[in-house]
Amino acid sequence: MSADDDDAFRSRLNALIGMSVGSGSPSVAPDPVNLPMIRHWAAAFEDRNPVYTDAEYAASTRFGGIVSPPLMLQTWTMATVEITGIRERGGSPVAATGTSPLSVLDDAGFVGTLASNSEFEVERYLRPGDVISATTVIESISDEKQTRIGRGHFVTWVTTYIDARGDVVGRQRFRILKFNPATSS
Amino acid sequence: MNIRPLDWASIRVGDELPALVIDVTATVIVAGAIATRDFMPVHHDRDYANAQGAPDIFMNILSDTAYCSRFLTDWAGPEAMIRRIAIRLGAPVFPGSVLTYTGEVTATSQVGDEGTVEVAFRAENDLGEHVSGTATMTLPV
Repeated sequence: MSADDDDAFRSRLNALIGMSVGSGSPSVAPDPVNLPMIRHWAAAFEDRNPVYTDAEYAASTRFGGIVSPPLMLQTWTMATVEITGIRERGGSPVAATGTSPLSVLDDAGFVGTLASNSEFEVERYLRPGDVISATTVIESISDEKQTRIGRGHFVTWVTTYIDARGDVVGRQRFRILKFNPATSS
Repeated sequence: MNIRPLDWASIRVGDELPALVIDVTATVIVAGAIATRDFMPVHHDRDYANAQGAPDIFMNILSDTAYCSRFLTDWAGPEAMIRRIAIRLGAPVFPGSVLTYTGEVTATSQVGDEGTVEVAFRAENDLGEHVSGTATMTLPV
């Protein structure tokens, strides 16, 4: 690519920053924070922290009652899966709506995706009954970099989780590498 | 786990957290994927994972972060609040591997009646480093 082409592509990437990933409207948790799902989570990871499942003990702590495991934040707002057709959708739990902003990268040959970093900031622990919504926007896209698996761009998006009052309860930053598998070093 | 709250005043920079060792089976991976509501077939369907070029099903990222949080609070106890956790993702985790979490205290500070502890940690298996990261927790002083 010429320098002008590079500049034009960079401008197209810059235009994606701040754009929504997903439907554009906040995804509302299908269910409020609830004890059965917390208990299922705690059992799966054999996490015996009593503030997640023991109401009497939790009441004696500074939390004052049962709280959700903080890293369940993302789980609450996951779409309810449509099992039929999940293979045909490439593993996507629900049918995609519209075109992903990241198709700009796919169309330029950066078709591979590798998760690279995940970061959570927790403002408060959630309690049973909390109804959580999430909005995800693209925060940054790096310049092209050579990596072991190919040349690509690191894309960071940030999901902001709010409660029913609109207060931010947490944020998640997630970074992926969109790479061209034909250019591995 | 340490069901008793950890005494913040007893924490010193350089303290090592007790290692958390997970014997990873297909059941461990599938249970974690479904409990985090992640139904991507690569986390429960070996044929599908093979078709994607992976030798077996592998642990999903929400399970990775779940085990990080368990590792931290198994040590810090039920009064601990995780305020921040940041991980870099490395080698995948397949059934049959042993995943070992280790970490140490890198800083402490106190503001009012709340203590803050910073931890650096990593999880490794036979393929190398699975995750590495840092976390910030608070405890009542």
